[in-house]
Amino acid sequence: MLSSMIRGRRLTTTVALAMTLSAATMHAQTVQPPAPGPLRPYVFPSVEQFQLANGLKVILVEKHTLPIVEGRVMIDAGAMREPAAKNGLASLTGRLLSEGTGTMSGADIARAMEALGAQYSAGGGFSTSFADVVALKNVFPQAMALAARTVIAPSFPASEFSRVKNQALAGYQQAHARTSGLANDAFIRAAFDSTAPFSRPTNGNLTTIGALTRDDVVAWHSSMFAPSAATFLIVGDITPADARAVAQQAFGGWTATRAPLPPVVNAVRPSTGTRVILVDRPGSVQSTIIIGQPGFRATDPDYIPMVALNHVLGGGFSSRMNMNLREKHGYTYGAFSGLDLRPGAGAFRVSSEVRTNATDSALVEAVGEYRRIATEPVPATELQSMVNNLVSGFPNSVQSVQDLSGSIQGLIIWGLPLDFYTTYRERLSAVTPADLQQVASSKLTPNNVIVVVAGDLSKIEAPIRARNLGTVEVWDSNGTKLR
Amino acid sequence: MRLRYLAVSLVLFAGATAGAQAAGRPAPVAKSPELRIDFTRETLPNGLTVVYHVDHSTPVAAVLLWYNVGSKMEQAGKTGFAHLFEHMMFKGSKNVADGQHWALLEAAGGRAGADINGTTSWDRTNYFEQIPSNQLELALWLESDRMGTLTQTLTQEKLDNQREVVKNERRQSVDNQPYGTWVEKTEELLFPDDHPYHHSVIGSMTDLSNASVADVRNFFSTYYAPNNAVLVVAGDIDVPQAQALVRKYFAPIPRGPAAPPLARMSLPATVGREQRIVVEDQQAPAPAVYVAYRVPPAKDLRAPVVSLLGDIMGGGRSSRLYDALVRRQQVATSVAGFNFGLADGADMLVFQATGKPGASADSLERALLVELAGASSFTQPELERARASERFAFVDGLQTTGGFGGRADRLAEGWTFFRDPNHVNKILGEFDRITLADLNALAHERLVSTNRAILVYVPAKKPVAQTSPTRTP
Repeated sequence: MLSSMIRGRRLTTTVALAMTLSAATMHAQTVQPPAPGPLRPYVFPSVEQFQLANGLKVILVEKHTLPIVEGRVMIDAGAMREPAAKNGLASLTGRLLSEGTGTMSGADIARAMEALGAQYSAGGGFSTSFADVVALKNVFPQAMALAARTVIAPSFPASEFSRVKNQALAGYQQAHARTSGLANDAFIRAAFDSTAPFSRPTNGNLTTIGALTRDDVVAWHSSMFAPSAATFLIVGDITPADARAVAQQAFGGWTATRAPLPPVVNAVRPSTGTRVILVDRPGSVQSTIIIGQPGFRATDPDYIPMVALNHVLGGGFSSRMNMNLREKHGYTYGAFSGLDLRPGAGAFRVSSEVRTNATDSALVEAVGEYRRIATEPVPATELQSMVNNLVSGFPNSVQSVQDLSGSIQGLIIWGLPLDFYTTYRERLSAVTPADLQQVASSKLTPNNVIVVVAGDLSKIEAPIRARNLGTVEVWDSNGTKLR
Repeated sequence: MRLRYLAVSLVLFAGATAGAQAAGRPAPVAKSPELRIDFTRETLPNGLTVVYHVDHSTPVAAVLLWYNVGSKMEQAGKTGFAHLFEHMMFKGSKNVADGQHWALLEAAGGRAGADINGTTSWDRTNYFEQIPSNQLELALWLESDRMGTLTQTLTQEKLDNQREVVKNERRQSVDNQPYGTWVEKTEELLFPDDHPYHHSVIGSMTDLSNASVADVRNFFSTYYAPNNAVLVVAGDIDVPQAQALVRKYFAPIPRGPAAPPLARMSLPATVGREQRIVVEDQQAPAPAVYVAYRVPPAKDLRAPVVSLLGDIMGGGRSSRLYDALVRRQQVATSVAGFNFGLADGADMLVFQATGKPGASADSLERALLVELAGASSFTQPELERARASERFAFVDGLQTTGGFGGRADRLAEGWTFFRDPNHVNKILGEFDRITLADLNALAHERLVSTNRAILVYVPAKKPVAQTSPTRTP
């Protein structure tokens, strides 16, 4: 499973251990793990699609195990569509959807939804603006109809605007009181060109949020929210006939129109050589470290091998990052990698929260793992174990309607076909070590990555500089270079 | 709402900690759905209780064990030990090399964190595997091997490694987080020094440093025996076949000595005085106030009333605190109301409000206390909203076979706390029976100033982060 280097060290440890315990375990016979029985079949539920007369796409996935239904309307009006100067507008508009429609106030909406026991939320994310309802099936149509009104005809009461804007400003400050918030912002800013929507925080920053007005919100909603630019996804215990009725009742009267927009481009910032960006958070007993690079899409032809590569490096507990930083060195509670997919282009990165006095050592190990997977072949047994984890564990991962819905939302956002999951497991199973090497050599540039560390610079800056990992820069929390 | 997973987990799992969720109102169809979790139960000669639950809807099986040991069993000077021990359960046993527990289960299709994990709370420690149903035997074998033989391959090196991991877990969840110390400070105030709930599950850095290999061996021989555990096998299983496998792997494990009796858990209904502390928090960007009350525990008949009080006061956007503090007075940016679900003696019901950056902690505290002083005269719509929210959360939680809070977990909880796996089928009925009089009576008795602890977090003066080009480190 592990690399030859680590495996060698572990063997040494095990041998030494066996010797010390030999007296106690001489009579003990090691038993082999039981073999699996025959695999029971699993078929991903079929995905049905239809359209309302106003152009709204409706996608239905039936799941009848418990009386729960989720409905989510997703509008192509995420933060990636907002102008840079109005960063945070989609997010703020999304928050304000739940604050009034028609004669109902935000408090009225909250009471009505909660009376139904419906979980209702509305917001603006990076890729879409949305309203979402998860409810028991007997109340779902009623809750969804109200949620639809908050999307189609929000009243954006002036009295609520300043309050919700203050909440957004406070939310920014809470997120940036954590090393993870500081490090994530620095990473996307360093990795993407300043014209790229993904270079900016989805929720905006203090300056841009502070400048937003109610007029901005009203104009954004009226120009961007339209059925032709939206998808309504229904997942759960509902029949096709009932789903059609709910869709028609909730969204049939939505008449707004909008011209189609071109695909979003997330331009990557060109760079030569590794940049190490440090952000100060005095008093931190842990640092957040991120190592990665921009430029990955779910529609790339080598997306499936990239999923496998990510899993080997840092997708599970037995993955290289965690075995090294946590189980071997005790630097952290967990170390992982992830493909952060976005329309246009996303990013691949490894990350961990590591104790302050081991920050430089943890960085060296993490960079080493990144380099190793980029340059050395992955043993076939290791690849097979990690791919099996994804393939065999897939049915576990879509047991709830929320998880099933989440898997379909990704397809919609990333532009993948709706039948993606019918062949997903077979395609993953077919990935070979050579495929991994191919994607690693064509996509990963271990000598040209973005390294970000947020922590107590009075303790970690000098040791990190001494490691000579790349060009070191110190940024403030707004991304301004200090030195 | 009761926080169902405020336990400390072996591996971070983002979806695990239930947030304080919504409250509800009279629904047009305000009736609990007809749901039943069927099961069979048996006890092996060595005392292991086994519960089987069949559901063929997905080819997934769950194996889940609750050991009847939590941080409340820890001795003075050994805080955090139940949880540290839980970590050692993943470091190999007689037939399973270090790292192989994870390697085998992940290769079989269990997802780290969501499907495979261990968690420790004040009252119990659990271990679970949710895997494709054809891998049931692997999970049973792994659990039986560590139940039977964990300490045969214990080493100082393994302990040292996991001690560091746990210290990092504490840093990540407590010491490096704004407001991260609030749980342990609340416990210290609401429970007397010698009470088992006085100290936190994660424990102190000093006690963690002092834990020895001998401690691990003692803990294992004291608590990790078949007669101190319940095993749930659930999902796409054939019961006779599962029973045969359970016997094959677990029956040879010898019964252990009876676990030592629990320290005295019972407490007076109220604390008897108001306590208040101010915490200067270097990492907090804004003030926050926590007000916690001593309330009846999970084993008490009034436990559902406690959850409903949390919902009505601070559960959702129609709650009293949200309406008053966030919407009308605008002194808070967020509020919450929830209880922990502690099993014995007493539980904690907590109301929380976070202020705006730069705002006064005093006015936030005053506003919160005024609302809490008015926590009475509840209305039927408030009760029905809270009930609808609990009803939804309950059904929602039953969607998964194993893992955090799924059906297997509910069955194990019923046995461990109530000696009744059928408890799961009674929960909605218990909520349905609660009346306004129950709510008002409990609020009158417990939501009083002489029964609460107030924690006020204020942003501390701190060394300024490097923000200006003229500064040098």
